[in-house]
Amino acid sequence: MYPFTFTKAATAREAIDAGRRGGRYIAGGTTLVDLMRETVERPEALVDIAALPLDEITVTGRGALRIGALARMAETAAHPQVRTRYPVISQALELSASAQLRNMATIGGNIMQRTRCTYFRDVSAACNKRRPGSGCAALQGINRSHAILGTSDQCVATHPSDVAVAFAALEATVHLLGPDGERTVAFADFLLQPGSTPDREHNLRPGELITAVEIPVHPRPLKSGYLKVRDRQSYEFALTSAAVALHLRGGVIREAKIAAGGVGTVPWKLPAVERHLIGQRPSDALWASAAALAADGARPLAHNRFKVELLKRTVERQLRIVGGTA
Amino acid sequence: MSPQPQDAVGAPLSRVDGRLKVTGQAAYAADHGTAHGIDGIVHAVVVTSSVGRGRITAIDASAAEAQSGVLKVLSHRNAPTLPYRPNPGSLNLPGERLHVFQDDEVRFHGQPVAAVIATTLEAAQHAAGLVRVDYDAEQPVTDLVGAPANEPPAAYARGDAEAAFNAAPVRLEMTYRLSRTHHNAMELHATVARWSGARVTVWEKTQWVQSTRDELAAVFGIPATDVRVISPFVGGAFGNAARCWPHTVIAALAAREVGRPVKLVLTRRQLYSGAGFRPAYEYKVRLGSDREGRLAAMTHDLRAETSRYERFSERGVLSPGQMLYTTPNVSQAYRTVPLDVNTPTPMRGPGYSTAAFPIESALDELAHELGIDPVQLRLRNEPESDQASGLPFSTRRLRECLNTGAREFGWNRRDPKPGRTRDGDWLLGTGVATAVYDTLRAPAQARARLNADGTALVESATSDMGPGTYTSMTQIAADALGLPVRQVTFRLGDTIMPPAPVHGGSLTMASIGSTVQDGCDKLRLQAIQLAVDDEKSPLHGAAPEDVVVRDGRLHLKDDSGRGETYRQLLTRNNRTHLEADGAYTPARPQASMYAYGAVFAEVAVDRRLGLVRVRRMLAVYDAGRIISPKLADSQAIGGMVGGISAALLEHTLTDPRDGRIANANLADYLVPVNADVPQLKAIYLDGRDEVADPIGVKGLGEVVLVGVAPAIANAVFHATGRRVRELPITIDALL
Repeated sequence: MYPFTFTKAATAREAIDAGRRGGRYIAGGTTLVDLMRETVERPEALVDIAALPLDEITVTGRGALRIGALARMAETAAHPQVRTRYPVISQALELSASAQLRNMATIGGNIMQRTRCTYFRDVSAACNKRRPGSGCAALQGINRSHAILGTSDQCVATHPSDVAVAFAALEATVHLLGPDGERTVAFADFLLQPGSTPDREHNLRPGELITAVEIPVHPRPLKSGYLKVRDRQSYEFALTSAAVALHLRGGVIREAKIAAGGVGTVPWKLPAVERHLIGQRPSDALWASAAALAADGARPLAHNRFKVELLKRTVERQLRIVGGTA
Repeated sequence: MSPQPQDAVGAPLSRVDGRLKVTGQAAYAADHGTAHGIDGIVHAVVVTSSVGRGRITAIDASAAEAQSGVLKVLSHRNAPTLPYRPNPGSLNLPGERLHVFQDDEVRFHGQPVAAVIATTLEAAQHAAGLVRVDYDAEQPVTDLVGAPANEPPAAYARGDAEAAFNAAPVRLEMTYRLSRTHHNAMELHATVARWSGARVTVWEKTQWVQSTRDELAAVFGIPATDVRVISPFVGGAFGNAARCWPHTVIAALAAREVGRPVKLVLTRRQLYSGAGFRPAYEYKVRLGSDREGRLAAMTHDLRAETSRYERFSERGVLSPGQMLYTTPNVSQAYRTVPLDVNTPTPMRGPGYSTAAFPIESALDELAHELGIDPVQLRLRNEPESDQASGLPFSTRRLRECLNTGAREFGWNRRDPKPGRTRDGDWLLGTGVATAVYDTLRAPAQARARLNADGTALVESATSDMGPGTYTSMTQIAADALGLPVRQVTFRLGDTIMPPAPVHGGSLTMASIGSTVQDGCDKLRLQAIQLAVDDEKSPLHGAAPEDVVVRDGRLHLKDDSGRGETYRQLLTRNNRTHLEADGAYTPARPQASMYAYGAVFAEVAVDRRLGLVRVRRMLAVYDAGRIISPKLADSQAIGGMVGGISAALLEHTLTDPRDGRIANANLADYLVPVNADVPQLKAIYLDGRDEVADPIGVKGLGEVVLVGVAPAIANAVFHATGRRVRELPITIDALL
């Protein structure tokens, strides 16, 4: 671990001042400290934001759900408003990490967590994300867990978060506070695909702090759920996952919000699948034909070819679980 | 059999060291420090090679050395020449063990190339990252497939397997693959080394203190009497702490160089190249039988990885193919393939568990081919004697294991046709496999001391990596001495104690147990003799063989009223204690001695997603006498969990481009979590093996891993109709 300074911010303003000067925000610390120990991350200054009043989970006047950036994963998953309105969020959180980690890690930190790519986490390996221009060892390496969507010839690392997949599906917005005040970014625009700059993972400006993630108002009732496919039954990142939310009226699907995890360099929204479902009546045939579109554009690597088929089946299964069959 | 009442043996005791462990008072290697009288410890951190083969061209340690607290950066550039005397013991292998910091050659990715010694761990870790090493790198070869093998192979033949195979009415030919796996014990490898003058003391994670002592003596060219190795607790090992690995030498060397005690703890990542592993295998089987499933011929062609500097071959990998089933014609060829990797080492159930996957899968394939029930097929090939050695079996109750297991598991409820049983999205299947592991015994010694206060202390330089040696030896000693368990203390893990063999191969219970019983029997008889010779004893004049001891009181077998306590006897005779040495030397085997088991598994396979979930397992063991039922269950359940892991999860992934292990951490190298472990049940056939050893045991810790993976693989076939011939079985293979 490299030497670093550690300060606690008492107010958001203090945090942002320190952040603008290059300080890295730390809350639960479950990702950052690990990476510092592996010397993947070498921040010179840490700014502890855990004391800021950003942990509230509220329903806004218009009915949107606002999750404070410092709400713990466990608290969020257990929150009555989250559980009843968006089971997909609760399930995604409960299928993440371990109970101990969920008690520490925050929602803001969760969506900011960095890839589990083994070469990213091994400082002796080439990695464009960690050291731009050094190459991508995963491209021709051991890449079973890597992405098949949103990749580039510079990076094929998977975004590891589960709840971010639910946020992507539900078209959340990310609320930010920075030196120039507040702004709001659509979740789809918040995390960045690697392209030719895999070291740029999000569009936070210097000193900007995530204050909340907001789920917009969706028609009710909204049935939703999260399916995570992995080799062991707990405490593992997804090989594939699917977040599905459906609104049916009169036996017809009126709204479909769907995203996939474990397969993309960012949580992967599936608009073609959504479009295919709108106006249709649930049936096994519909789920199959919709899910067949899930892996469109996939570019598998030597060891993750199976994810193409697995992704389709994961989406199909979760459509059936959430939507039932006619 | 002991004339003593067996009160402790067979009782389901909890671990005698359990409280120490759960309260954090048990001192593992890395825990040793000031509290144990080791003052002024400094820390060493190893720097490992980032290339898989080649030469070191430069080492720049200036940035590391400039860090505050750094005492020294050791590498081949400045390390003294070490004698590395030949040492055929200590589990050293044909070839030459890795010499640390003696030359510029890199033999595998992750090889130690330098070590930073600093006053704090943090300073050493940080400085280790600042050591710059340049290499002239070459392309390593790390893939077993296609790489040339050492010749000639280890071979075995009886009959004419080729002709018999060709003439057989039913012929099967399959290739099975097993991936490389790592032990991944909870405790990291760790060493604390302290020199005083020319003598060194090492607190070490090891399954064999003497082996480490002898190896350090050989490496440093000093007498073994100048080395003391202490290892009171081991946090799991599974075979991987049997040899003395390079980091132990580095710790001792570092301590000598800086003149202070040094602590060195390998990181989890470093464990994958800093200690051995179970090698990957390609295992080709040909099997010929008649239409009733009687085996006519079996051929086995094995290829397994080893390092270029040592030739590791797994003892036992050929045995099941020779003795498990009646097979008139057998041929075997076992080739090791030298690769640019570090040297493999035995891992729980070594050899036998490897061979079980191809053999037990092949039998299942034959059963399916012939439409014979897999249990019946095994019963049909049950031999009358050991066809390899010609010896009779000491005890072999495999038939009973299979029949009892089938009954208890509900085996006969299965629809023999695969892929026919459904539960929603899940396809259900059941599978069976045989487990076998040989009964090993080795010479061992113990010292037993009975104190005037009625307590006893028994010592032997063995180890307890988890099976509960402390507890089981206490039980044996308590019964032989006629003392309550709480009055007996067993100590282990120090080279100043009477010598013991390696704590591995399931030989500890048989060997140390027999020597503990011998020592304690002698001690009890000494006390009895003292009593019957003592005019003031109520037992004066009695025949020694008529006296038993129970609850610390000597009395006549037939008249419990006539007697006295150890305490009364010793106090009256002004004896502070009595002492006796126990010894055990196994006789040359007059019988074929193995532990057996039958393992049954039920799995569910998601028909679309390819997920495999073990639903329940049951195994029946013929392991001789069970000394400690609770610990036996702990072993059996642990073995089954290890088998689930091997079947479905474990796989060391090596990047062929540079030999880097890509999943050298416990997030990417998967082992089961609680959710993966269903209802597991073990049954032990009641009995003892009088031929095997004086206490009637056959060993349990290894056999419980054997057969688990093939039982699961066979259940996956039964569930899906898909035969997967490669471990682990993952989603990819079942989509």
